[in-house]
Amino acid sequence: MAETNAAAVKMRSGAWSGSLNGGTLLMALLIGAMGFYVVYPLLLILVNSFNIATIAEPPVYGLQAWRDAFSEPGIWRALWNSVRIGIVLQVVALPMGILISWLLARTNVPFAAGFEFCFWISFILPNLATTFGWMLLLDPHTGLINSWLKTMPFLGGLNFDIYSFPGIIWTHVVANGISTKVMLMTPAFRRMDARMEEASRMSGANTWRTMVRITVPMMTPIIVVVFLLSVIRIFSSFETELLLGVPWGFYVYSTKIVDLARQEPPLVNQAAALGSVILLFLVAFIPMQRRLIARRQFTTVTGQFKPKLVDLGAWKYPATVFLGLVVFLLDVVPVLSVLGGSFMVRFGFFNLPRTWTLEYWTMAINDPRIIMALKNTLIVAVSAGLVGAFIFSLIAYVLVRTKLPGRGILDSICWLPSAIPGVLAGLGLLWLFLGTPVFRPFYGTLFLLVIASVLGGVTLSTQILKANFVQLGSELEEASRMHGAGFWRTYFKIVLPLMAQTMILIGVIKFMFAAQHASAIILLATSDTRTLSLLALDQVAAGYREVASITVILIMAMTLGLALIARSFGLKVGIRAE
Amino acid sequence: MSFLRIKGLYKHFGEVAAVNGIDLEVNEGEFFTLLGSSGCGKTTTLRMVGGLEKPDRGEILLGDRCIVSQSKGIFIKPEKRDMGMVFQSYALWPHMTVFENVAYPLKVRGVKRAQVAEKVLPALELVGLAGYEDRPVPALSGGQQQRVALARALVFSPSVLLLDEPLSNLDARLREEMRRELKDLQRRVGVTVLFVTHDQMEALSLSDRIAIMNHGQLEQVGSPEDVYYRPSTSFARDFLGRIFALSGRIASVSEQGLVVELRDAGGAALRVRREGLPSSAMLKRAVGQQVMVAIRPEQIAVWPSPPDGQDNVVAATLKSSQFLGDHYEYTVGIGGESRVIGSALRPPPAGQQIFLELKEEEITLWPTA
Repeated sequence: MAETNAAAVKMRSGAWSGSLNGGTLLMALLIGAMGFYVVYPLLLILVNSFNIATIAEPPVYGLQAWRDAFSEPGIWRALWNSVRIGIVLQVVALPMGILISWLLARTNVPFAAGFEFCFWISFILPNLATTFGWMLLLDPHTGLINSWLKTMPFLGGLNFDIYSFPGIIWTHVVANGISTKVMLMTPAFRRMDARMEEASRMSGANTWRTMVRITVPMMTPIIVVVFLLSVIRIFSSFETELLLGVPWGFYVYSTKIVDLARQEPPLVNQAAALGSVILLFLVAFIPMQRRLIARRQFTTVTGQFKPKLVDLGAWKYPATVFLGLVVFLLDVVPVLSVLGGSFMVRFGFFNLPRTWTLEYWTMAINDPRIIMALKNTLIVAVSAGLVGAFIFSLIAYVLVRTKLPGRGILDSICWLPSAIPGVLAGLGLLWLFLGTPVFRPFYGTLFLLVIASVLGGVTLSTQILKANFVQLGSELEEASRMHGAGFWRTYFKIVLPLMAQTMILIGVIKFMFAAQHASAIILLATSDTRTLSLLALDQVAAGYREVASITVILIMAMTLGLALIARSFGLKVGIRAE
Repeated sequence: MSFLRIKGLYKHFGEVAAVNGIDLEVNEGEFFTLLGSSGCGKTTTLRMVGGLEKPDRGEILLGDRCIVSQSKGIFIKPEKRDMGMVFQSYALWPHMTVFENVAYPLKVRGVKRAQVAEKVLPALELVGLAGYEDRPVPALSGGQQQRVALARALVFSPSVLLLDEPLSNLDARLREEMRRELKDLQRRVGVTVLFVTHDQMEALSLSDRIAIMNHGQLEQVGSPEDVYYRPSTSFARDFLGRIFALSGRIASVSEQGLVVELRDAGGAALRVRREGLPSSAMLKRAVGQQVMVAIRPEQIAVWPSPPDGQDNVVAATLKSSQFLGDHYEYTVGIGGESRVIGSALRPPPAGQQIFLELKEEEITLWPTA
């Protein structure tokens, strides 16, 4: 904070007219810090893909890493697997998402608000929890559903294997595949002018035809946005593939990078080469993504008439059953499964002499590793929440309210992390800290994890904050400036108090992100700095499922619990496409 | 027999009765207008006719066919009613071209591709948009969008055309132009029109008959001249335009009408014909009753000197006048009160006396409390 204090002094002496110099300094600081933090690690990946020495040694440049990486068929297969999962997932989840959003927003289906809440829960549920919950049910040998199927008269031959391509797809669909789309599209569907549909009905088209020919085509812009956002995230997917793919040698982009970097000896240079390919590809996507999100909808917003809902008639009942079933699969099943896993002697074995036990909980409470992971998680998540809320509010404020040169650059930097897979960001930071002698002592500390976690959700945070600053109107701040307060005083005394609610929301989002995501920190953590999500991954890999479910429950309780508390205070943690 | 019949229609939104018992009969080929201020239930009535809202009570018949009846449990869906509708916002689909918008009602009816063009092009020609087929809808001006919406509503020759304030989103000059075109179009096509507006000028100039609505109920139904010159309720009288009113009491009653002695204007007496009298429930027609004499200001003839052989003349003092281009606006004083009237007569100097002739067949009479 020393540099910002210096800027503050300069700012105050400059007041109105002279603020340009202080402002320029502030902007330079922000761009420098964010650039060092976001862009430089990525450049390091790019540069070091041409480095054939290991991290801590002086660099020797050459093409060996690229040659090695791409002569190995496993790398190509991993890339192709990522793309394959992305495509199949979208083909399944997008139509489902459209149908559900339409039902929730445009029809008189009963309990629409309740269902929407359930999709929100599913969105909040950590991927790790959903994946783990379904693992307990669909494991080919011990899965609860498979055990039941064996006892059924005609279905005895049926056996699901979650450690498979369809298994991974299924898990993605029930984890975030559907709920993210419903969260993004339902508000947009709701804002559509109902008269567009009424005009179709008056023209002679029935409900179904109106949906197919009018409603969905009118929603095409938002559907395209949602689709492209999902496409960009293809390479980010990590936990599900780690748990369900790696055990049978199925790698995707992100798990392959981790695999390379963690081998003995580590093939970090090859990992960097693999990282660079997608990095270049994604960077090309960022301007497009930015345009898509920044673009306003021209057709859908009219506020003249209370939207008239489509009467489903008798279809109401099958629609309700359908939504109920989806919500059951998305929320109830994984949560019950994880809970059951922690309280049963052997999960799914109801006919054991002793079925239920508190043994694992007792073990967990006394397990120093769990306690330490819990402590680590709280430290990292709370710090990320506090630091993130402060830094990104300042960035958003500068972007919205000042006319300082360089805003475009700063804005672009803030857009970058959204497209960068967590694993890649982690790899870059690893290089930054291990490759720079000054920073090397930080390796193995929680500080490193905080740094990586703050980065998660940068784009979302700045977008939310920017939107709120725009809404706030500048008169309140101008009044403060006119009455003699400088930039910083105005920021602290007027802006922050007015933005308190949004700041808390950002803090909550950051906390949740830090508490549940493993991909950004997996390469940075050591056994002493493991967080709960990393511990859970290790426990599953080692086969301690009952204990793992307790760890997962802790993560779930922290994230979902916090989100529910925030929601009860009127803060809706979520995502928006516009 | 009437073509579209509405019987005892009710619609509540929560506690509010949007439509509170309406009976209407619209004839085939008629241009029928529902006129009222916002929130009077006219749009809700229109939407119930179209099937976009379900009535709480009552029924609607189209020809012999009942299209909705709460008591009989009949509800024909909007797409089965064969009615065209133009929305206030036009509701053109932005993802379709002009041609596709207009062709849509034909396509959903299974019309063959070749015949679709045969019907769409004349419909576009009808509304003066020939050559615009391939334009994207958002690229059109408001007036043009309006025409596309009309073409879309007419292309399948609907039995009834529903118009929900279609002119209100246009600027004043375009509105006048579209008003003339709309009337002309309806005459050529001969379709039955149910038109909703809050604009008196639109209602008066377009309609064959007007129903004035207030608080979810009908105030008066009649030809434009009827409702304008012979309003049957005080709401209709005040809603449709300005009035010129004088207070007095009934001096005598006869077969042909009655005579009112004015309170001001030196006790001048006015004769009022029978047809100017409101229903007997409101006016007991008893000698001595306090009444108000009303007339539309533009019906008053202004004379610089007392006209020979004319009765029903009231003397007034010209206080001031304003030139408004096509006429003058006079502020006149009668018995200490000022009133505004219009006249083409070049005004004499202010302060001079002028004479106002209120023709007996144009006066309406209203009881005062």
